[in-house]
Amino acid sequence: MIYAEHLRKEFRKTVKDPGLKGSFKALFKPKKEVVVAADDISFHVPEGEILGFIGPNGAGKSTVIKMLTGILTPTSGECRINGKIPQNDRKNYVKEIGAVFGQRTQLWWDLPLQETYNVLKEIYEVDDAKFKKRMDFLNEVLELEKFIKSPVRTLSLGQRMRADIAASMLHSPKVLFLDEPTIGLDVVVKDNIRQAIMKINKEEKTTVILTTHDISDIELLCDRIVMIDKGKNVYDGSLHELRENFGQTRELVFETDNSSNLTEDLFRKGLNLKGSDLVIESEKNNFKVRFNSTKIPVGEMLSYTLSLTKVKDISVKDSDIEEIIRNLYRQGESSDE
Amino acid sequence: MNKIIKSYAPFMQAGIQTLIIYRMNFLGFVIGGLIYCFVMFYLWRAVFDSNGEGIFLGFSMTDMVIYLFLANTTSQLTYSSVSEVIGEEIKDGSISMRLLKPVNTDLSYMFSELGEVTMKLLVLFLPMITGLEIYRFCITGTVMFNAINFLLFLLSVVLAYIISFRVNLCFGFIAFYVKNLWGIGILKNSIIGFLSGSLIPLAFMPDRLRVCLEYMPFASMGYTPVMIYMGKYGANEILFRIGLQVVWALLLYGLSKLIWFGAIKKLCVQGG
Amino acid sequence: MRRIWKIYRLLAAQNLKRLMEYRADFLTGAVSFLIDQAIGIAFIFIIFTQVPQLAGFTFEQILFIYGFSQIPKGLDHLLTDNLWCIGYFIVRKGDFDKYLIRPINPLFHVIAETFQVDAVGELVVGIGLLIYAAPNAGLHITIWTVLLSIIAVPFAALIYTSLKIMTSALAFWLKSSGFIIQMVYGMNEFSKYPTTIYSFPIRIFVTYIIPFAFTGYYLSLYILTGNDPLFNIGGVILMSTILFIISVLIWNKGITAYESAGA
Repeated sequence: MIYAEHLRKEFRKTVKDPGLKGSFKALFKPKKEVVVAADDISFHVPEGEILGFIGPNGAGKSTVIKMLTGILTPTSGECRINGKIPQNDRKNYVKEIGAVFGQRTQLWWDLPLQETYNVLKEIYEVDDAKFKKRMDFLNEVLELEKFIKSPVRTLSLGQRMRADIAASMLHSPKVLFLDEPTIGLDVVVKDNIRQAIMKINKEEKTTVILTTHDISDIELLCDRIVMIDKGKNVYDGSLHELRENFGQTRELVFETDNSSNLTEDLFRKGLNLKGSDLVIESEKNNFKVRFNSTKIPVGEMLSYTLSLTKVKDISVKDSDIEEIIRNLYRQGESSDE
Repeated sequence: MNKIIKSYAPFMQAGIQTLIIYRMNFLGFVIGGLIYCFVMFYLWRAVFDSNGEGIFLGFSMTDMVIYLFLANTTSQLTYSSVSEVIGEEIKDGSISMRLLKPVNTDLSYMFSELGEVTMKLLVLFLPMITGLEIYRFCITGTVMFNAINFLLFLLSVVLAYIISFRVNLCFGFIAFYVKNLWGIGILKNSIIGFLSGSLIPLAFMPDRLRVCLEYMPFASMGYTPVMIYMGKYGANEILFRIGLQVVWALLLYGLSKLIWFGAIKKLCVQGG
Repeated sequence: MRRIWKIYRLLAAQNLKRLMEYRADFLTGAVSFLIDQAIGIAFIFIIFTQVPQLAGFTFEQILFIYGFSQIPKGLDHLLTDNLWCIGYFIVRKGDFDKYLIRPINPLFHVIAETFQVDAVGELVVGIGLLIYAAPNAGLHITIWTVLLSIIAVPFAALIYTSLKIMTSALAFWLKSSGFIIQMVYGMNEFSKYPTTIYSFPIRIFVTYIIPFAFTGYYLSLYILTGNDPLFNIGGVILMSTILFIISVLIWNKGITAYESAGA
């Protein structure tokens, strides 16, 4: 369905030294610098899948999405969606895709929402009968009735986002690109939009590529994630696998009378653990052990600790996906230094 | 004084940096002005040819050339884009961010613009003056540069800029009422162009109209300094014209403050 | 073709609906351009209080040339005003994205999206001046001169449009090209007066390089004298066609260089 192969995008940027002096220097001798926004990005999305496309700010997510939608021309590499190369056959290609960029709108700002749909109907050559059926479906999923007659500029952010998603779905695209569709929305509206995306994906077998910073979007919607950082692929696989591979960290929290004698050295020597396999934090009577569960089973860690001190209460924490991703991002940062 | 410079320097710096980022635009602006001058130059040459007398309403062709180029350069130098800036800020709401800053708002606009003015001074105005002096020397064979006149001219240019800034400040607030800022901008520029004499010397207008126009603030925005530079005014008249500029600067200062306070009230109402 | 027309009408209608919401704006725009024009005419009037002729043309003839030059300008202004926004901010802010994800030609989409009623100012003044000046301008009126002049008007407008397409497309590389459009567009000043008043290099420049001379002077010259239709009218058609082809090539190249905004 969607193939991205070795996508690379370079931008030219004028750089200048700070301050007024730098500004003047830039006026007469602008320094150009090549910025690589995407570097050798490859992945594949089968039909009907919801792919979470994630990465920290400035990782190059939008650049990749824009190459996939045909907005940007890759410096090198190629993408193929439904057998079409977006940049070569743009007009026919875009009929098969829908795109929502959370930070912008494609709606006619000053006119009632319905007008936008009427125009898009013609632009995408949707016939009357199909249009009616489509509007009914979108109305049902996205609940547009309440504001469809209001000028777009008067809509709330959540309404506008629903309206934008509907606009991108009007022509029944096979692929839907959603670039931060939940940005700036409150929890209820977010949930609304997630439901809608799920419904659209289920009922129409629409392939969805979704970028987001909201981990719950990913946990609730995505079958698979591709993570990029600094323009490079860093992970491609299912959420489950991600948890398996990076999520062996367990955390035990003990409440004790006195934890001052429980030092990291003691644990390291006693259990023969090294480096990042063990982290200990203690604060007053709370004593936290984070460890790699492939090196030492949870039970063993538990009994070892119990042998050292008197414990009032114990809790075990599973690593959540947010934590894993944060760790992955961090790894990227430290390898950079 | 030091404190003022310290707190407004960032505005000026930001102004210059924006200008540098869009330096191609700036160049276009300068060249566009020159093209216009050339069209006018040829038009006037044709007029002088048709007229056949070599003097047109007290202007020789040399006078005319100097007038044309100087009037246009001066009007570019004293041009203030503050009305467009305010218009945009009102439209996108960012004017409230400016109100939050602990500085005098109109001064912050002025300093953002001073960078651009400095740039125009360096790359357009000074070369133009030098060029015109050389031109005048080649035609007449004598150096006509007069330091006192030149200083008075500079003073008058500064006043012209202040007046232009205030007039544009007043215009900017129209954005509260009208959305078509582009149309208003065209209207404003063509009215100012005509009434300030940068299109055609006010001396060429019918007498009564001319006298009226010479008293209006628009003449103070361009015509006055150019006439001083060209030596068309005697000593008394120079003093009178500069005095008039000062009066207009003060009046417009008051007017812009009045509108400003009215506008802030409206802003609060809009903000709910 | 019918589909293109249908979409054009639809988009233009949206624009008019929007204008209806802001009636005051429509008035401001039209009145502004009307006054701008009036000042231009006042200028010519003042000149002619002092001289009987300009470069061999009478007052009425100059007004005729001036008026004729405003019609293609107004036509282009009416139909393709959105190109200015491309150069000034649409590309810089990354708002060009939306034109690229729609299944219609982006250039057509951009142009169809605005219908600039401000241009009424130029059109009214242009036509008004023609009507006012025609009886005394000594026109050479035959079926041919009238017919050919009318046919040439859209081509003359296309010269404006092509130059705007070219210069606005520079924004794809430079991010913002507003003042370059302004600069080139500003050269239309040359079209308002007889080209013979300019020196030779400038005459060549406004005839063959930035051919604004064809949008006013040469057009008028043909109907004033009936001479040289091949150059005066044929030139407009040839020049506008060449320019248009070049401008579309530049535009299409520009789209591949478009960098959008953000990461």
